[in-house]
Amino acid sequence: MYRLSVDCLPHVLSFLHYVNISFNYSRFRSEISSKERRIKMKALILVGGFGTRLRPLTLSFPKPLVDFANKPMILHQIEALKAVGVDEVVLAINYQPEVMLNFLKDFEAKLEIKITCSQETEPMGTAGPLALARDKLVDGSGEPFFVLNSDVISEYPLKEMIEFHKAHGGEASIMVTKVDEPSKYGVVVMDETTGKVEKFVEKPKLFVGNKINAGIYLLNPSVLDKIELRPTSIEKETFPKIAAAQGLYAMVLPGFWMDIGQPRDYITGLRLYLDSLRKKSPAKLTTGAHIVGNVLVDETAKIGEGCLIGPDVAIGPGCVVESGVRLSRCTVMRGARIKKHACISSSIIGWHSTVGQWARIENMTILGEDVHVCDEIYTNGGVVLPHKEIKSNILKPEIVM
Amino acid sequence: MESSTEEKVVAVILVGGPTKGTRFRPLSLNIPKPLFPIAGQPMVHHPISACKRIPNLAQVYLVGFYEEREFALYVSAISNELKVPVRYLREDKPHGSAGGLYHFRNLIMEDNPSHIFLLNCDVCCSFPLPEMLEAHRKYGGIGTLLVIKVSPESASQFGELVADPVTNELLHYTEKPETFVSDRINCGVYVFTPEIFTAIRDVSSQRNDTATLRRVSSYEALQPATRIPADFVRLDQDILSPLAGKKQLYTYETMDFWEQIKSPGMSLRCSELYLSQFRLTSPHILASGDGTKSAIVIGDVYIHPSAKVHPTAKIGPNVSISANARVGPGVRLISCIILDDVEIMENAVVTNAIVGWKSSIGRWSRVQAEGVYNSKLGVTILGDSVAVEDEVVVTSSIVLPNKTLNVSVQDEIIL
Repeated sequence: MYRLSVDCLPHVLSFLHYVNISFNYSRFRSEISSKERRIKMKALILVGGFGTRLRPLTLSFPKPLVDFANKPMILHQIEALKAVGVDEVVLAINYQPEVMLNFLKDFEAKLEIKITCSQETEPMGTAGPLALARDKLVDGSGEPFFVLNSDVISEYPLKEMIEFHKAHGGEASIMVTKVDEPSKYGVVVMDETTGKVEKFVEKPKLFVGNKINAGIYLLNPSVLDKIELRPTSIEKETFPKIAAAQGLYAMVLPGFWMDIGQPRDYITGLRLYLDSLRKKSPAKLTTGAHIVGNVLVDETAKIGEGCLIGPDVAIGPGCVVESGVRLSRCTVMRGARIKKHACISSSIIGWHSTVGQWARIENMTILGEDVHVCDEIYTNGGVVLPHKEIKSNILKPEIVM
Repeated sequence: MESSTEEKVVAVILVGGPTKGTRFRPLSLNIPKPLFPIAGQPMVHHPISACKRIPNLAQVYLVGFYEEREFALYVSAISNELKVPVRYLREDKPHGSAGGLYHFRNLIMEDNPSHIFLLNCDVCCSFPLPEMLEAHRKYGGIGTLLVIKVSPESASQFGELVADPVTNELLHYTEKPETFVSDRINCGVYVFTPEIFTAIRDVSSQRNDTATLRRVSSYEALQPATRIPADFVRLDQDILSPLAGKKQLYTYETMDFWEQIKSPGMSLRCSELYLSQFRLTSPHILASGDGTKSAIVIGDVYIHPSAKVHPTAKIGPNVSISANARVGPGVRLISCIILDDVEIMENAVVTNAIVGWKSSIGRWSRVQAEGVYNSKLGVTILGDSVAVEDEVVVTSSIVLPNKTLNVSVQDEIIL
């Protein structure tokens, strides 16, 4: 970590003047005088497109605003970035910027972090958005900036990543994660001791390694000089260039990693997330006679008598779970009501939906926003679009429009 | 200038709202159902232009639950185009099909109309409104319903009614009966005199009175609160049924076509009906061509002036092509609706399908279905911005917006 001394104050002031940001001098003085001096960093979150795989949830909200473990997916990333000193987050989006911006205004205020959008007018691939947001990412300070993928959930060891990056002195650092079946993905071939990346191999037929790109990068501003403003792939074009110049290093991601862009992975991801929460901040999990395993319940939610909740359940703000309800491996989103004696497993209950008395919901049932399942109904893998009423059983997986 | 003896007429078209009519998905995910194009014009355009034929039409009101801004552009464009004032009124909460009419009675009565037409936006028919008005005047009741004869098997989906064969009086009315009552059904097009408002008000106040008088049985008491609020008045159950047989309501029978546009597949059927009607009323709207300077056209086809169709394509019957669509060489289109900005590449075939805005259909690909209008996958529906890659076959499927199909699919819904 760099430390600012009072001596370099005039330089810092002129630098700040140069980049033309508005600046509260007295607050700056108190920050300088506090023990923890933090460098302000920037980050880009690749939000991308329509989130069609997470429909019907994404029919109501853009994907980054879909709740995961009781808060919008993107908030997990923004909070992790704020914790390591990022003061500005740029969202690279190409869909519904107005909805995102409106929503994010609240977070900007609460988190005291600046959030802006960089809108793609045509799909720019995985590297193009960085070039598009160049002006927002480069502030002349020379600090590296983070790039995150909005679909990814992990423990975000960003502090360790900063240290790793400074230690190797290369131009770019990426997080990689170990998987069982590497040939489904793009494999990162690297030196196991130094972490230096040799090359990327897409879906290799023979075993070349078991680490894949986890979608978390820390890049020096000079990387932006290597990206043209056109649809570009960071894995196919940008990173190979940097690797060839011996400037790309990979760090193995400690802890869990999951791409929660589709319902099955969302449910698995919740289990991994809650497991990790049990290790890091077990106080956040709910305990009680009616709780089994890892369960996260928002403080404004109400749970009735005689329920059995868990394992791997998240119950969101304002939810009402009436008495005698069994919930396992499921997410109940904000405002939903689960009526008496219902039983839900391995499913997602969307915002403001209701599940009727004695209903049984299982096997990857996804209820969109404002869906009402009548009393005594059984659904096996039903995927229900918003604003529907389910009055008859769904015996095998089917989409209800 | 109207003399004081001229009687003005106001038309009210019920357009519904976004959370109702989920049956029209996925087409209604991106556009309000009343604005979905049928035979080249938004669905609601057809009843509105039918209203224009009513003598002394003073005003058209569209009543629904959509946000005002969803209709703002359309309403000003159509007012200009048809030179008749059209206004959208938003219901803040459900009042029922008659309650909605009553809710806006002050606005409706502003022009002091002698007669008020009430139409449902998703009805597809020839709208013989001037003839209905004339008949209504002769009958002298407070309302006249448009009715049609249907097959006995299908009748139970609708409101069945019995009319006096001589006086045409409405004798009996029942909504979606379980047993057969009659093969004459209610088309959802009505003309009323302003006394209808009194009738609706009477229902409301009666309900208020009985609510306090009625003793609730123990079974009813156990039901969740389904008491209907006093101002929720349904036209069928609360007005038509009770007033039948009291020499107040009459019927006018149409011998032309009639359909309801409830599902996406039906919009293709109704497009066909309206296109064939254009053949009789305004044939200049329809396209023609023999393959020399422009594409071969078979049957009733509508092509928007800005659409580009290659001369080697063969189009029809029953095809509607919207603005800025591009149809490439050697393409065959049969029984389909092609929406704005769609690109169809060489030698592709589209039959029994609806292709959404900005979609692209690859070379030699085939988008098809059986053409059973009422069944869930009877017509293939591609939402907006769907890309079907070269040589892919899409059969009897529904594809939601922004998807790319690079393998063939059959009998599937793709979210």
